[in-house]
Amino acid sequence: MTTNYSRRAFLGLGAAVGGGMLLSACGGGSASGGGDGGTLKFWDMPWGQANYTAAAKKLTEAYQPAGSLPGATYQGLQWANFSQTFSSAIASKTGPAVSTGGGFQAFQFADQGAIAYADNVINQFRQDGTFDDFLPGQLDAMKTAKGYAAVPWQLDFRIWWYRKSLLDAAGVKVPTTWDELLTACRTLAGRKLFGFGTGAGAGNNLGSQGLHLMMLNNGGGLFNADGKVEVVTEANLEAMRFVQDLVKAKAVDPASISYTTDNLITQWRNKRVAMGIHTAGLDTDTGETDGDLQVMGPLTGPSGAKAGLVFQNNIMMYADTPSQEGSEAFLSYYIKNMKTLWQQNVVAGLPVLKSIVALPEFQAQKQKAKIIAEWAPVAKTFAANSPTLFGGLAAVDSSQPITQFAQTVLAGQDPKPALESLQKALEAIVK
Amino acid sequence: MTLTAACPKTEVARTRKPRRARRTLLVLVAPSLVLLLLINAYPLVYAALQSVRDGSLINAGDYVGFENYRATLTSPAFWRSVQFTLIFTVVGVFGSWLGGLGLALLLRTRIPGRTVFKTLLLLPWVVPVVVSSTAWNWLVATPQSPLPSLAQALGLGTPLFLADPVLAKVTVCVFKVWISVPFMMMLIGAALAGVDRTVYEAADVDGATRWQQFRHITLPMISRSTYISWILMTIFCVNDFPTIFLLTGGGPVDATTSLVVLSYRTVFQNFQVGPGVAIAFVMTASLVVVSVALYRQIRKAHV
Repeated sequence: MTTNYSRRAFLGLGAAVGGGMLLSACGGGSASGGGDGGTLKFWDMPWGQANYTAAAKKLTEAYQPAGSLPGATYQGLQWANFSQTFSSAIASKTGPAVSTGGGFQAFQFADQGAIAYADNVINQFRQDGTFDDFLPGQLDAMKTAKGYAAVPWQLDFRIWWYRKSLLDAAGVKVPTTWDELLTACRTLAGRKLFGFGTGAGAGNNLGSQGLHLMMLNNGGGLFNADGKVEVVTEANLEAMRFVQDLVKAKAVDPASISYTTDNLITQWRNKRVAMGIHTAGLDTDTGETDGDLQVMGPLTGPSGAKAGLVFQNNIMMYADTPSQEGSEAFLSYYIKNMKTLWQQNVVAGLPVLKSIVALPEFQAQKQKAKIIAEWAPVAKTFAANSPTLFGGLAAVDSSQPITQFAQTVLAGQDPKPALESLQKALEAIVK
Repeated sequence: MTLTAACPKTEVARTRKPRRARRTLLVLVAPSLVLLLLINAYPLVYAALQSVRDGSLINAGDYVGFENYRATLTSPAFWRSVQFTLIFTVVGVFGSWLGGLGLALLLRTRIPGRTVFKTLLLLPWVVPVVVSSTAWNWLVATPQSPLPSLAQALGLGTPLFLADPVLAKVTVCVFKVWISVPFMMMLIGAALAGVDRTVYEAADVDGATRWQQFRHITLPMISRSTYISWILMTIFCVNDFPTIFLLTGGGPVDATTSLVVLSYRTVFQNFQVGPGVAIAFVMTASLVVVSVALYRQIRKAHV
């Protein structure tokens, strides 16, 4: 049997097929944002070594929602281009209901109306006692004029480390003040060792964050008490001139302005770096947990102040969710049960809950326990001297101006024009 | 008497038939056209709108007219990026072309292991940039890396290939040439294969030297391919993000920040969407002008 189609019928069929394809393409992804098939989407960043994601996924999948509340699915994300990933997903309403992410992401998205404030969760924490389990000041850091933008779950410090064997061999005592630091750096430089290990190359923010820590240590910072950019201050200038002295004392590797994080870790591992500012995970990153790499105590600056730099990594809820009550229930569950991640030792960051700090598994990690004991009480946020965090911070950390500033100062150039350029550039970014 | 009435019936039918056929063809390509418009034109129009707004990655923001373009064109950072983009493109295009031409000519001769040699030469182009940039980073990043160590051994000091602004520019450009030479080699090799060897035999009989043969036969005969390769490589270089970003991130102190890197950093690191997209549009417009100029050269090429 043969079937004859007229040209008109053929064209009609073609149009129908094309139109159908077009409609299906346009309507792709029928699930609403935040949900997938009636469950909440939880997006998480890689917060530790390879085994972290498996542990966090297991924790998510163990969630048993009460009554008719939705369950949760886990999606691990990479840091590469994470801003685009979140932004495009939120704009196209295919984003998560709950997520971890950049330290200031919640504040940034809150400014754009994409965040569901966590006040209900915090109120519930007040009632069940979890509120008091948070380390002092950590919940307050999440507070904005409209409510709690997120709930902190781990802390990411920038702190001083030293390699004990190199200091011992050079007869250098662990510095406690800036003056001692400079003296120690000079002695170490005589042995071709770097006393201010850092890196400001592609994707490496440790250089700019290290300089920021020095500013904070001297009572300075990037912002004033009103949350406005104010970097050209005497305190900052003095701190950066001290860094310039360190550069002159050959404490800074001239190649470090182009070091990626991997390059810097390699230099630590190869024992080229004797002291430096790094994250809390340096010993894990280098694969050396034998005690040769040790955390220094906070240094006393020229004004007598001590300070550290801390990023409160947080879990945020999004306005676009299948169930706000469901998002809150899941977030509450995650915070109350996340101790397993520290018991398994899979997280690079430090706990934000006192009950986790007290765990024997955590206390066994001596360097991390020292950070909580000595650095947490003096640590300041990236927004200091502003009392609160805000959305504009996301555009400052790892931005082009701050990276350029770090590379300029670490190259030993005059810090004053560098600070003036930074002021101008940050004013254009932070609104 | 009307014109139609003057025409014989068969002629009217003959003129109507192609018109109907054209309409049919138009209807047949319509779905593809619609899809192309949705895939290409929609993002382009949306980006154009973003470039005249003060928005974020999520919200469109307020209309600001051509303020973003004004800010871009008066920014020193933009002009520094233009300068580096020009250097990167000129070195990338002509460096890879010269390398590719040299290798293609070499591979025309009967050298032992030519096929193996050809395959090995393709590796820089075939290997993902992420892998090759990691390898180059290992080669040059620290004073203890192989190349700085070699320079030290030769008494040339310790060159900071990625930390010194001038050396970083050189390193990035050389990296780009290294990656692109195989592509040029293939294009030129294909063009050379199409050149009739009898022309060279005739030139030999006429007493032309090797240089004269190269200048007056080879170059003109491959000119069309040459111009095409220049257009393609210009586009590749101007739009090249990973080569630069993975190796230097645009540093040190913005020394290797090209326009595409500047655009990316403005949008996704500084979260200034309007100005970042404006940079991309200025870059695209410049690229179109260069491509059209080179395309005209292709049409003038006599082979």
